[in-house]
Amino acid sequence: MFKEKNDTANALLNALKKSNMTAMGIVLLSMIIIASVASPYFLDIYNIQSLLRDLAFVGMIGVAQSLLLLVGELDLSVGKIASLCGILTGMLMVNQGINPWLSLVMGLVLGLVFGFINGLIITRLRLNSMVATIGMQGVYGGINLVLTKGKAITGIPEDIYFLGKGNLGPVPIPFVISIIVLMIILFMVKKTKTGRYIYAIGNSREVAKILGIKVDKIRIMIYSIVGLISSLAGILYVARLGSSQTAVGENWPMNSIAASVIGGVSLNGGIGNPAGALIGAAVISIIQNMIVLFGVNVYWQSAVSGIVTVIAISFSSISEIMRERKQRKIKLG
Amino acid sequence: MKVLEARNITKLFPGVVALDAVDVAFEPGEIHCIIGENGAGKSTLIKCLTGVYEPENGEVLIDGDNAMKNKALFNKVAYVPQEIDLFPYMSVAENLFLPYEKSGVKGTVNQKELQKRAIPVLEQFSIPVKPDELVKDISVSSQQLLQIARATVHEDYEVLMLDEPTTSLTTRDTEILFNIVKTIKQENKAVIFISHKLEEIFLLGDVITVFRNGQKVAYSQLKDVDIAWVIKQMVGRDVDQEQLYYSDKVSNEVLLEVKNLTGEKFTDISFQLKKGEILGFSGLVGAGRSELMQAIFGYLPVYSGSVMLDGKSWKLGDMHYSVNNGFIYLPEERKKQGILPMLSIRENISIAVLDELKVGLSISRRKEEELSRKIIDTYDVRTPGADKEIQFLSGGNQQKVIIGRAMICNPKVLVFDEPTKGIDVGTKAEIYRLMKELAEEKGIGIILISSEMEEVKKCSNRIIALCDGRKAGEYDGRADKEEILSAIIGANTERKRSRSYVQREK
Repeated sequence: MFKEKNDTANALLNALKKSNMTAMGIVLLSMIIIASVASPYFLDIYNIQSLLRDLAFVGMIGVAQSLLLLVGELDLSVGKIASLCGILTGMLMVNQGINPWLSLVMGLVLGLVFGFINGLIITRLRLNSMVATIGMQGVYGGINLVLTKGKAITGIPEDIYFLGKGNLGPVPIPFVISIIVLMIILFMVKKTKTGRYIYAIGNSREVAKILGIKVDKIRIMIYSIVGLISSLAGILYVARLGSSQTAVGENWPMNSIAASVIGGVSLNGGIGNPAGALIGAAVISIIQNMIVLFGVNVYWQSAVSGIVTVIAISFSSISEIMRERKQRKIKLG
Repeated sequence: MKVLEARNITKLFPGVVALDAVDVAFEPGEIHCIIGENGAGKSTLIKCLTGVYEPENGEVLIDGDNAMKNKALFNKVAYVPQEIDLFPYMSVAENLFLPYEKSGVKGTVNQKELQKRAIPVLEQFSIPVKPDELVKDISVSSQQLLQIARATVHEDYEVLMLDEPTTSLTTRDTEILFNIVKTIKQENKAVIFISHKLEEIFLLGDVITVFRNGQKVAYSQLKDVDIAWVIKQMVGRDVDQEQLYYSDKVSNEVLLEVKNLTGEKFTDISFQLKKGEILGFSGLVGAGRSELMQAIFGYLPVYSGSVMLDGKSWKLGDMHYSVNNGFIYLPEERKKQGILPMLSIRENISIAVLDELKVGLSISRRKEEELSRKIIDTYDVRTPGADKEIQFLSGGNQQKVIIGRAMICNPKVLVFDEPTKGIDVGTKAEIYRLMKELAEEKGIGIILISSEMEEVKKCSNRIIALCDGRKAGEYDGRADKEEILSAIIGANTERKRSRSYVQREK
């Protein structure tokens, strides 16, 4: 019995050592400490709440995006899917007068469909995911403009406001939802067959095919999940603003990828943990938060946030370099 | 006069002594063969001799100077790696002279000049390609020769190190290579030749050094010893070279029936496979053996023809169907097509049968561990634990994991494509025994594709010879070796192109 316990403890320790996430966890922790020492306002409950609310959106999309990165692909249309779904949901509620909850579900289904279309195009036509989704984001953004002429949709029923503005105890609802999303995705990735197949495909698409795994089916499924979660984020943002804005999610594609990579997910596939994306999103949000708290000159903000992001990413890259070194050593033996 | 010398080299890795106080010296004008089982320390020695690794103890001398202190000396050692390491989308000439600095081309690169200079080199190595062809378009055999040519174009090299250079060469090209190596030897360069193929070593080498478990266990003039001695030194015990491994329990029941199958690289192939039979496929590199099996498996398209398995019509072009209906293909390119490198041994095994390991929705860790432990024990995989990433295992052990994984899918037909490529003598015998057991005890039909005639002869009940994508003959496993050889080089068919092969062969 004792031995078994010891084994699990060792396994946990080994997993921690192996994970690139650990490095980022430490970076995140030290950032929190630095921020709270440097600025008395950082640990203020309102600041923390707005921080969590901010990071929830990029966080949940990052979690979905990390699934795609795990199979060696990415989706740049997440932001446009989010805003289009927000607009469509808003129109269903306001213009069509459909029950807000029903509209919300319909919005989510639409997101799923958009993701499915992405996946179908990319797998059937054998397109490169990056280029294909650059194209598709133009399509989704275009539909958005055609429908709205660039104007926001106001008069969203207040029934759903709490989804974006509300708190559960002290914790903002969007953050709670992003945690739930993470839990579901984590279960899928770590415990189910599909999750194992995702890692297999990321390791080698060739081998996965030879093992009889239906690779394209799984890829389409992941694109659909990404579409679904993007629309979830978009709709929650509508609830947060109380209106459907056309410009929502402009920087979500890049930030969701950056968050995943900061969290130790490899762009080449096969390595990483979706939970890392949430840590990465937290790192990005804290950087932006600190820039505001420290009163960095407006013109400098973008440059400073860029520099700190690059520094943050290098931490996970350094752990990658260490890993490779170790690998080379063992291979020779 | 020793041109390259390692003195008392010790190299440690966490938990392993990779090289243990090794002394070895290479003399100009001598072909020095190095042999050892996988994991014996050959690769580590190479990396130490080429300056990739610094040993913990001891020194490497080049031309009598300590190369640890003067790294530039390592440029005198030209190393040709085992795997093809060329730039596929660059021309033959460019590949030959990269990096240009070493070839006297500075700054801008003059393509015409490069191509002009490539011609004599290509002629010397009898590589039948034009200097402006892209490397991806030339045959694997030519690529291998080109890689060796590349190492020799740098004029200042003193030592040529060849790591398993013949694994993807045809018989004709192996001969060409050997002639070149002999010429290089006469130019008073030292040649280091690393190979698992003992016949080649005796054909070519002057002296031999044998490694086992990180130690140098033997050194001798090759003319004083024989194959049995080398194997004994290498494995540490006697291995019976004459033992045969064909199946003794072939049933009369036809398991697989292929009729007039035609695809891109094979034409009108028909054959039958019985339960419990080991059927060998012999042929030159590029004869279409792998392509044929991959097509039945569903990886490559089939243009016409039909396949029946167990009396039922077989669905072509669907690998998922093939795996689930008992036809499993174990690919030749283990690293690219066989293993999931960054996943653990456990995950590599369980991936094939996740449905059976599920409790509710989630995979049961306990069942998964049980299964992997069983496979590791049954197939004698040597590893510290099931959680080790599979890329860290030696080739032979990776192969055993892959076989084990295939076996838990309850296959009816198992295709082994070059199952012992890059695997040492001791482990080879284990894999042959495994094939025999699977055929006899489980009644599995085994198809063995191999370029080594000895291997096919040793293991097969029947042998089918392919030449240029066509069936050139069907033989009993005990048939005359010469007869099969002449079939695979096309002597039985009347095509003229094949005749030239025959002449070169003789």
